Parts: sequence; structure tokens; C-alpha cells
Amino acid sequence: VTIIDLKQGDEFRIRGVTLSHEIGKRLADMGFTAGARGTVVRSALLGDPLQIRILGYNISIRKAEAAGVEVELLTGEIA
Amino acid sequence: MKTIRVGLAGNPNTGKTTIFNALTGSNQRVGNYAGVTVEKKEGRVVRGDTEIVVWDLPGIYSLTSYSIDEMITRDFILDERPDVIINVLDATNLERNLYLCLQFVELGLPVIGALNVIDQAESMGIRIDEKRLGELLGFPIVRTVGPRGKGLDHLLDRVEAVHDLWRSAAAAPASGRSAPRRSPGLDEPGRPTGAPIHLPVYSHQVESAIRAIGDLLESDSGFAAVNPCHWLAAKLLEKDANARQRLAAHPARQVAEAEIDRHIRAIERESGRDAEIVLSEQRYAWIHGAVREAVSKVEAPQPLTEKIDAVLLNRFLGLPIFLGILWLIFQATFTIGAIPQGWLEQLFSWMGDGVRQLVPPGLLQSLLADGIIAGVGGVLSFLPLVVILFMFISILEDTGYMARAAFIMDKFLHLFGLHGQSFLPMMVGFGCSVPAVMAARSLKSPRDRIVTILVIPFMSCGAKLPVYVLLAGTFFSAWAGTMVLAMYVIGIFLAMVSALIFRKTVLRGLSTPFVMELPPYRTPTARGILRQVGDKSAQYFKKAGTVILAAAILIWAITTFPAPPENAPGDPITYSVAGQIGKAIEPAFKPLGFDWKIAIATVTGFAAKEVVVSTLGVLYSVDDKNAITEGDDAEAPLRVALRADPAYNPLVGFTLMLFTLVLAPCFAAQATIRAELGWKWLGFYVAYSILAAWGLCFAVYQIGRLLGLGA
Repeated sequence: VTIIDLKQGDEFRIRGVTLSHEIGKRLADMGFTAGARGTVVRSALLGDPLQIRILGYNISIRKAEAAGVEVELLTGEIA
Repeated sequence: MKTIRVGLAGNPNTGKTTIFNALTGSNQRVGNYAGVTVEKKEGRVVRGDTEIVVWDLPGIYSLTSYSIDEMITRDFILDERPDVIINVLDATNLERNLYLCLQFVELGLPVIGALNVIDQAESMGIRIDEKRLGELLGFPIVRTVGPRGKGLDHLLDRVEAVHDLWRSAAAAPASGRSAPRRSPGLDEPGRPTGAPIHLPVYSHQVESAIRAIGDLLESDSGFAAVNPCHWLAAKLLEKDANARQRLAAHPARQVAEAEIDRHIRAIERESGRDAEIVLSEQRYAWIHGAVREAVSKVEAPQPLTEKIDAVLLNRFLGLPIFLGILWLIFQATFTIGAIPQGWLEQLFSWMGDGVRQLVPPGLLQSLLADGIIAGVGGVLSFLPLVVILFMFISILEDTGYMARAAFIMDKFLHLFGLHGQSFLPMMVGFGCSVPAVMAARSLKSPRDRIVTILVIPFMSCGAKLPVYVLLAGTFFSAWAGTMVLAMYVIGIFLAMVSALIFRKTVLRGLSTPFVMELPPYRTPTARGILRQVGDKSAQYFKKAGTVILAAAILIWAITTFPAPPENAPGDPITYSVAGQIGKAIEPAFKPLGFDWKIAIATVTGFAAKEVVVSTLGVLYSVDDKNAITEGDDAEAPLRVALRADPAYNPLVGFTLMLFTLVLAPCFAAQATIRAELGWKWLGFYVAYSILAAWGLCFAVYQIGRLLGLGA
């Protein structure tokens, strides 16, 4: 399961970032690390990009990147 | 007097610049839009016999080499080796803020954490025991509340104390500051908080890899003198490109590289993840442990920001609200701005008249009145528009809305290879390309920044409007307004198509990931806004005083010299350099339907679009050229003259409007592109704009003629 499988309001715990090099590193630097908890806050008009809440702050990432963040769902159901 | 050199670092949106201003009282802008302080800003504080020099470093999240800001910061720190780093920490968001802080500690630098936004954190129920946190992390943490200057004195006390601690530690044998691994650990008895330290951040495996590689690098004393070897070792394990470049200077480079790759493979085999991610995760895990012990509640909801976002980022309301805000800003800018703009135009017109009365007719009068005052005045009269536009933009930035606008627009812009953050500079481009090109600095990836800058001139700036108004009014009187609007729309369309072309050709490559913080909404301060507006206006003013002045003199010279022979028939301008160029290039313009007169206007228009109208005025209304450029009623003679000229028809009028739109806007904009991107990209842009202008106009004119529109 990755972040794009979740729907608005879902809480998740990160299992790992499968992207590497620049983008994976940047996500890790911004707190997308194994064990971190986050929430899918909303998406923009066409479903992309996503607003994610992690480590107590809000961040915007595109679906392409979100698809590389493996998570486990904590609340809600998988869409 | 002793001097302490301090680097002020921190994440974006932490109030770092506000602290810098409070500390040093210098001129500096405050922003919410990621990374507004690209320039290196320096300030000074004198306390007793100590002088503290403070550099305001760009707001960054990490010390990798993925953005200009990060590279500026790391190069500054590696090259200048500041004595102390003050890291401003947003108390509402401690873990991510400490992540950067930790990297400065790893670099072997004395670090002091300046806990900011603490009142907001406490109102959210976050309780921080900063003394305990400092003990756990190994460096002192001081409370500061930026805007009111609270705690700053205490902060500077700690800067001096920590500086002394490190000086005495460096003087003592066997624990040099260049060798952090030999520094005592956290549990060393009697170690004062703030003394040199080695933090137990990483797992045993990573730690021993760092030690092995670091020791290997350090074995060359020349290399070790200019590089913090153990920090570099960690960066090499993170596969950092910049660290690899630094390694090239090492005599045992090949041995080191083999060793590094071996360790990376071992770490990846053990963890099942990429090594660069393993190091980030271990840093965050270590911070998490410390923060959990010293902070009561690490994450808290921000009800106000969430409520505002629920409306402004609403899936269906977000875009209409954003477009509404844009519309209001443009309405306000152009209606309010028109009033002082009128005053300035009046002022320059009086100055011109004054010069004509004081200075006897001749070259000097012509240079002063027609060249300098008319040219510089024409540009300076846009200053009120620039000031008002930038006031609104500053408000959007400082409240945190600009990041939301990028969020809303990203999908659309991404389709054309642009970036959500390209939107702001493109919007500014409707006012003036000069500040717009400068505003593109907020784009972190060089490739995104270059594409954005190259398409900004397609956004019709204020100076192109008079040309559109003149030609549309002359040839399309019934639907002049629609034609002007059509030019703006065509410009946007060309910008998108060009961005796509650049992305597929010269700027090929993976699109930059859109990873952008949406900072909490904050109330902008009047001082912060005024500072930004002042800075931008000053930059615009300076441009008008230098580049535009030079351009004005140049245009005047090429339209004046050489003077026509005695009793020569026709307008003097036809004998000038500009006239000769016009005649010479006329064959190239024939296929576009332009005669030599229009060719001259495009030559001068290459320098500044404002002068297209006045050049046509000079060419058509020989007797009284002032009557053409002043006011709407007075423009009528030029319109009559244009309509009467058989060389013109609506198709030619439209083609000329299109040519004005596509061709490089003015010397000032070209000079700004050169300043931001260098000669190579300026040359590329100018060539592209000339080819695109010619090609498009050729197609439009020829197809139009085939359809019988040019009759």
C-alpha cells in the first residue's frame, strides 16, 4: 500500500520510501522515514498534488512521488 | 576587540530573518515563500569589546546539494568556517527543524538552537523543556521570540560563552575542533552543554563506516586541512554528488571510492534500503528519542490554519478563489496605480518642457529631453505599479498563501513542464519582466528556474500595452478590447508551448519533484512588507537609472545620428543608423508585411517596447511628435496617419501586435536575464524570441493573405 491508495483523512504509518536518489532523499530529509505517522489532508482539484501532514507540519507532494512511499493504514479504509 | 563570526541558519518560515533584523537592525526581507534570502546578508552587533558578525543564510531543510540555497549554505560553511552557528528552530515543528541542526553538529561546528515561535507552540499545548532538550542533544537551546526581540540578549551571551568553550577546547591537547570524532561523548562527566561533542546518532555499522572512510580521507594532511573528513565520509555514504566532487582532489581517490562503495553495499544489504535513506532515518530516530523526553506534546493541530485551508484549498472553491484574488490584485494595481503613474508622466513631461526652454535647441536639448527624460521617465512612471504589485505579492508571501497558490496551480503547470512555483514570477511578468525574472529565484531547481525565466517575457508586460492599444484601436476599433485581450491570451499560450518545447529539447530531463512545505498562516507585519517593497522598488529604480538610461541614450543616438545632409527630403530619422538598419533589414520583414518604417520601429522596440509607439509617431507625424505620445485624444493623428498609409491594413496591424508580443521585451529585461542566467542563456533567449517572432508573424501574415484578409 502506498500513499496514493489512501483517501482524504486517512492516517498512515510509513513503512519505507522506495524511491532513491534525489527524490527519495528529499522525502527522507523532510521526515518521510520508516515509522513516521502522517495524514492525507486533501488533494488539489484534479487529484494531484496531495497535501500531507507529517511531523506536525503540512507538505505538498505529487502523486508520482506519493506512489513511492509505502505505508500501513492506521484509520479509515483503503479506497 | 575580538570578533565572533556567526552563521544564522534554519528552515524556511521559522522567523530567521526577523531575528536577523532584530539582532543587527539591517535591511532584510522576511518571507514565507520558500527561500527568499538567496543573497548573503551580513550584519554586525557590538557588545562590550566583542564584535559579532552575523550572516543570514538561506532557509533550507537539509545540507544535501539538491538546491541552490543548500549549496550556498554548505559552501559558505565549508569555505568560511563560521565560529558559531545559530540555528533558528520553529517550536511548533521541532523534529524537522532539529534535523538540519544535527547536520551542523556533525560538521563539527559549535551550534546554538534559537527556539522561536514559542508562544504559538505553547498556545497549541506544546511544552518544551529547552534545558533538558539541550542536555540530550548536546548543544544549548535558547528561547527567542523574534518580533519583540525577547531573549536575544541571552542568545548572544550564549554565543560568546560557547565560542570561549570551543576556543579553550581547541587549545587543550588531543581534542581539536577539526576532529569531532575525538570530542567527548554525551555522557562524558562534567561536560558543559555546548562544548565540542560527538553525538551517538548512527548505528554501529554506519558509525564504523564513517570512521573508516573518515580516517582514510584524513590520512592526506593536505586534503584534511580543507575538508571536514568525517562529515564528508557521512555525505559520501549518502551518495552526495558534491561530496564526490570534493573527493576528486584526494590523492587516494580510487582507494577511497572502492572503500565507500563497499560500505554502502554492506549498509544496504543489512538494512534492505538505500544508504542515503538509512542515514536520514537514523538521524530522525535519534532526534525523535531526544524530543520525546523533553517535549510534552510533539505534534499538535493548528486549528486556524486548518480552517483557512479548508476554504482556500477546497477542491472546488480553491481555484475560483485564487483567480478572484488575482483579478482583484490586478484591478487594484492598475486602477490605483494609474493615478500616481499619471502624476509621474506629468512630471516628466514638465521636465522635458523645462529642458526645452532652458537649453537652446540642438543636440544637447534633444539628448536631454527626447532621449534621457522621455526614455527613463517612460520606465520610471511604471514605478507606482511595481510598488503596488509587490506590496500585494509580499502580503501573499508573508501570509503563507503563495505556497497554496503553487499547490493549486501545480497540476496545470506541470503538464507543460513548469512547476507550481513558476506561477508567481509569471504573474509578475504581466506587470514587468524585470522584477518577474528576479522573482524566479524562488524556484529551487536550476532547470525549472531557467524554463520559467525564458517564458516570462511572453507574459505581456505593461510596456506592451500601449502598442496593443494603439494598433487595436487603429485597425479593430469595434473590437479593440477583444484584440488586446487576445494578445494576452496568445502570450500565455506561447509561454506554455515554449516551456514544453524547452523541456523536450534544451532542458530535457526528469521533472523536478514538487516537494513544498505549506507553512502555517501568519499575520504579515507592516515592517516586513515595507522592507520587501522597498527592496524591490530600489532594484527597479536602479535598473531605470543604469540600463534604461544607457538604452535611452543608445536609442536616441541611433535615431539621431548621422544627421541628414542639408535640405535632404523626408524625415531625418531615415538617414540615421536606425533608419539605415530599418532599410537594410526591410527585405527580411517584407514577408511579414512590414515596410521599412515598421522595421525601424521593431529595431527600437527591441530596446524598449514603449518606444515603438513614439518611433511610429516620429516616422508618421513629422511636424509635432509630442502630440502623438501625450494623451488619448492626441493619439488620433497617428491613428489617422496609419490608416491612411497603404502599407497598413488590419492584417499588418495584427501581425505587428504579435511581433511586439513575441520579441524580447526590452534591454532592461535582457540585462536582468543575463544577470540571473548568464550570457549563454540570454543569447539563446534572444535568438529564440527573434526566430519565434519572425516565424509566427510570417505564418500569420502569409496565411492571412491567402485567406484574403490583407486586402
